[in-house]
Amino acid sequence: MGRYALQRLLGVIPLLFVVSVLVFMFIHLIPGDPARLVAGKDATLEEINGIREQLGLNDPLWRQYIDYMGNLFKGDLGNSIRSGLPVSEMLASRFMPTIWLTIFSMVWAVIIGVLIGIISAVKRNKWPDHVGMITAISGISVPGFWLGLVLIQVFSVQLGWFPTGGVDSWSSYVLPSLTLGAGIMSMLARFSRTSMLESMREDYIRTGRAKGLHEFVVVGRHALRNSLIQVVTVAGLQFGFLLGGSVMVETVFSIPGLGRLLVDSIAFRDYTVIQAELLLFATEFILINLVVDLLYGVLNPKIRFDSN
Amino acid sequence: MKFKGKAWSMLMLLVIVAVVAAGCGSGNNNGGANAGTDGKGTKPAAGSKNGNNVVVGLNANFITLDPHNAGDTNSISGARSMYEGLMGFDENMSLKPVLAESYSISDDGLVYTIKLKQGVKFHDGTDFNSEAVKINIARIQDEKNNLRMRKSFAKVATVETPDANTVVITLSEPYNAFLNKLAMGLMISPAALEKYGEKIGQNPVGTGPFKFKEWVEGDRLVVEKNADYWQAGLPKVDSVTFKPVPENGSRTAMLKTGEADFIYPMPTEQVNLLETDKNIVIDKTDSTIVRYVTLNTMKKPFDDVKVRQAINYAIDKDAFIKVVKSGLGSALDSSMSSKTQYYSKQEGYGYDLEKAKQLLKEAGYPEGFSAEIWGENDSETMKGMQFLAQQLALAGIKLDVKSMEGATLSDQINSAKTPEEAKIQMWFVSWSPSSGDADGATRGLFSSEMFPPAGSNTAYYKNDNVDKWIAEANKSIDANNAKSIYADIQKQIWNDAPWAFLGVDQVISGKRSYLEGVKVYPDGSVNVREAEVKQ
Amino acid sequence: MSQQSTTAEHRSSGGSGQEAAPAKRKSAMAEFIRKFSKQKLSLVAGIFIILLLLVAIFGPYLTPYDPDAPDYDSMLSGPSLKHWAGTDEYGRDILSRLIEGTRLSLAVSLSAVFIAAFFGTILGLLSGFYGKWLDRLIMRSSDVLFSFPDILLAIGIVAILGPGLTNVVIAVAVFGIPSFARMIRSVTLSAKETLFVEAARSMGAKDRRIIWRHIFPETLPSVIVNVTMKIGGAILAASSLSFLGMGAKPTEPDWGAMLSMGRDYLSIAPHVVYFPGLIIFLTVLAFNLVGDGLQDALDPKMKN
Repeated sequence: MGRYALQRLLGVIPLLFVVSVLVFMFIHLIPGDPARLVAGKDATLEEINGIREQLGLNDPLWRQYIDYMGNLFKGDLGNSIRSGLPVSEMLASRFMPTIWLTIFSMVWAVIIGVLIGIISAVKRNKWPDHVGMITAISGISVPGFWLGLVLIQVFSVQLGWFPTGGVDSWSSYVLPSLTLGAGIMSMLARFSRTSMLESMREDYIRTGRAKGLHEFVVVGRHALRNSLIQVVTVAGLQFGFLLGGSVMVETVFSIPGLGRLLVDSIAFRDYTVIQAELLLFATEFILINLVVDLLYGVLNPKIRFDSN
Repeated sequence: MKFKGKAWSMLMLLVIVAVVAAGCGSGNNNGGANAGTDGKGTKPAAGSKNGNNVVVGLNANFITLDPHNAGDTNSISGARSMYEGLMGFDENMSLKPVLAESYSISDDGLVYTIKLKQGVKFHDGTDFNSEAVKINIARIQDEKNNLRMRKSFAKVATVETPDANTVVITLSEPYNAFLNKLAMGLMISPAALEKYGEKIGQNPVGTGPFKFKEWVEGDRLVVEKNADYWQAGLPKVDSVTFKPVPENGSRTAMLKTGEADFIYPMPTEQVNLLETDKNIVIDKTDSTIVRYVTLNTMKKPFDDVKVRQAINYAIDKDAFIKVVKSGLGSALDSSMSSKTQYYSKQEGYGYDLEKAKQLLKEAGYPEGFSAEIWGENDSETMKGMQFLAQQLALAGIKLDVKSMEGATLSDQINSAKTPEEAKIQMWFVSWSPSSGDADGATRGLFSSEMFPPAGSNTAYYKNDNVDKWIAEANKSIDANNAKSIYADIQKQIWNDAPWAFLGVDQVISGKRSYLEGVKVYPDGSVNVREAEVKQ
Repeated sequence: MSQQSTTAEHRSSGGSGQEAAPAKRKSAMAEFIRKFSKQKLSLVAGIFIILLLLVAIFGPYLTPYDPDAPDYDSMLSGPSLKHWAGTDEYGRDILSRLIEGTRLSLAVSLSAVFIAAFFGTILGLLSGFYGKWLDRLIMRSSDVLFSFPDILLAIGIVAILGPGLTNVVIAVAVFGIPSFARMIRSVTLSAKETLFVEAARSMGAKDRRIIWRHIFPETLPSVIVNVTMKIGGAILAASSLSFLGMGAKPTEPDWGAMLSMGRDYLSIAPHVVYFPGLIIFLTVLAFNLVGDGLQDALDPKMKN
């Protein structure tokens, strides 16, 4: 397993390389001139050109790429075009709010989602199933920004229970995590319901039942364990997505996270920040994939790690 | 299996309890590490406030705190809480001396002799004196630094310091707006410049009423009381926290819950509702921000002045204010706002659909025509463009509304190297001269040297008289003379109608009733110098 | 390599057991209808969707008012007998705009999902059937696409192509492709192993024929289920783009655009957002419920 993990880790490098090239090309393809945006509306052409020269934007694209990668290997992510702040510092300060938001959202979403899934599967086509599924599906049926704004109106403005946003205290995270987790909860509920139903049809479950084991034991020990494997994979994938930060939730709740940074950077064509952030996402994503694969092996010893 | 149903509900209950407990537990750890600046976890009692710390909610992030390189209004607001210039603006954008005690200008308009206030110190203890002024101007002018302020000081030839409290600035040619520019050139501690170098933008040291405490990029800027401020009695609050809250609804909610004591901008839609809340006070002031649509005067059909005038007659400006600005604002009756220097009111272009149709007919478009209107993709611009489409449809002009992301739009406009290449037809946009001067509200928009990509004359307006007058006014040393030249310019532009003139914004802010002294200036910057919490 | 494929393989392994002989199609259809109609929720949701489709088709005849006609004297008035869903910030009748918008919103989401399904299915079939370098190429590309935040893709696409609904469709479709490709690939993998493919191959059938006649029908249930479930997601994605100012033109009565433009009025005239919000909610909910029902009905492992 160690060797497998190592192999996979090494496989990340070419993928990251491809991602870096693609990202570089893609963001330069988007129309817009960072120098002009930095210079402001009443800037002179001379000023704009000065900035462009300073930032190396007049160099041919391949040259800019090589310079960028060269600095990257030296561990230098460069400075933000827009603010001049070091990109590494910006990412570091934006990282934690996004991590917390992701963790809080995942925790409640996984627990509630799986629970609804189990209950729905056990009570298939009875009212708990219907209620559970409608609750779950409701979670992915509203646009996040709308849900967020409504939650603020109700729980912050009317009831005064939670702050409207920010990251000043733990209670600031309650409403954003509810908003962000709703979709995941719903996905997990449906997923775990389906996989529970499948597992419950497996022979060993039937055998268990036939042997007169209590339904609780059958479901809890056998079916649940089996479907958990799949839940882990889905949850892991979602975790990877969330780490990219949620633009909408971070905007609505004024959370200084990675998602908002990305949108702001795109708006200003802040190439250095966009590049660094996308490489960070790709790395996160790949690492999480790896962790999930390894977990999969732990939960289901039958899987062998052959590199394919 | 009766037991089964109950067991499941018990299990569910258990899990829910566990979630809540886990959520609180892990959250608390985080709260400890991340403890808020002022411990605002709970809702403050309505109407009064604990402590003497003020929270200001703004709509966007700070970009830099380097006052010589700040271009956006928010960064300027942040910088002005800690920095001051020789000159400054009052709440009507009129100039007043700040770090200058007095000044005199030579008759030829070239030599500015400035007496400095004595006994002023920077936050790091360095003395403010003529040498500091010289170092600051040198920094701005240094080509290597490529600072945004540089062009404002391009006409400064020499800076002399006959004694510690006197600065003599000599210009290469007369520059009417130079005092406005001096007000934008804030003074940084020379010792701090030496110490921090390029990082001065993250470590501001000025002479202002507040000292820098911390800046968490994207989250907050905190400034604290400067106990040694030169003006006795100020500042009256212990600290000010600026927070970027981009979403309108969330910013308003923060004011309602008391998480913010002051917000700007206040969304116009909410004003009527909040005015009924006794804990909240809404402040409205006319601004220097003008809204208009540029009409490409070199493109058919807008090359015909009758078409451009027809458009101006076809738009009901009062309805514009009512629908798009929720009734807050006034009609634009010149090429600049009444709050801008040398403004001169113009007459005409009242809503008259028949006249518009008549003019279109005379211009050879009895059936109207189709055109594209461009604008950014913020909700207010989109709302405005939609309104214009509805209005002009009545005159037979069919508008195709194209909202674009700001950077894409700027690229579309500036990628045309010559007027012939330009694809722009109509552009819904706003403008505000950053230092409130008439030159800033005129030259970049109407001088024929300022066609994109060199400037913002997106109407491709060219009038030889206007070109000549702009240059004359700029060199004029007599205020009355300048005023009459600008009156001519505004009259000419108004008659030529390179724009569809729409409205002047109000700057609208909201605050809790216990807060006094925080003001939004007509240019949209927030001034906290005199902030005070009334208990 | 990644977990999605493992998962999907596991889930779809049931597909191999399905009888696909043409002679049995009719009874399979009857079986499907029998099973689907047992899912009462999905049935109700299905009826709702059919109603929506009717509204989309006959929309222009149903609107009580001209959906684009402003009336500045009755802006933001609440629901009344005259305007059942109230009026918006220009005094336009919200109900008429919702009806008109049904067509737009369904057109956007349906076409985006169909485009994604079309390309995703082709890529998935090729990837699963041929394996080797082609498989690796397609799967790695979709990994890369997956690791891009979808919002960046969307902003990039809209920025490059310009604003408007067509480009919203393209943007939403592009980030739907990888998940289709992955899913179809895994179904293809298991279908490839089944007996009749072996048989067809030993009889000398051409690749194209095998893919089209034998493997594609196997993937069809998964495609149908996924298309249904993704439509809801596409409606939400389009409205998120509107939130970022990258969606439909502001003049178009697209549901997402109405919701996003109306959000500034949430606290003063909530009906401006609640009605579009409600219709989006119900529609997405309905598509998801139908998707769930289809999944239950089409998956042979789900027999009662």
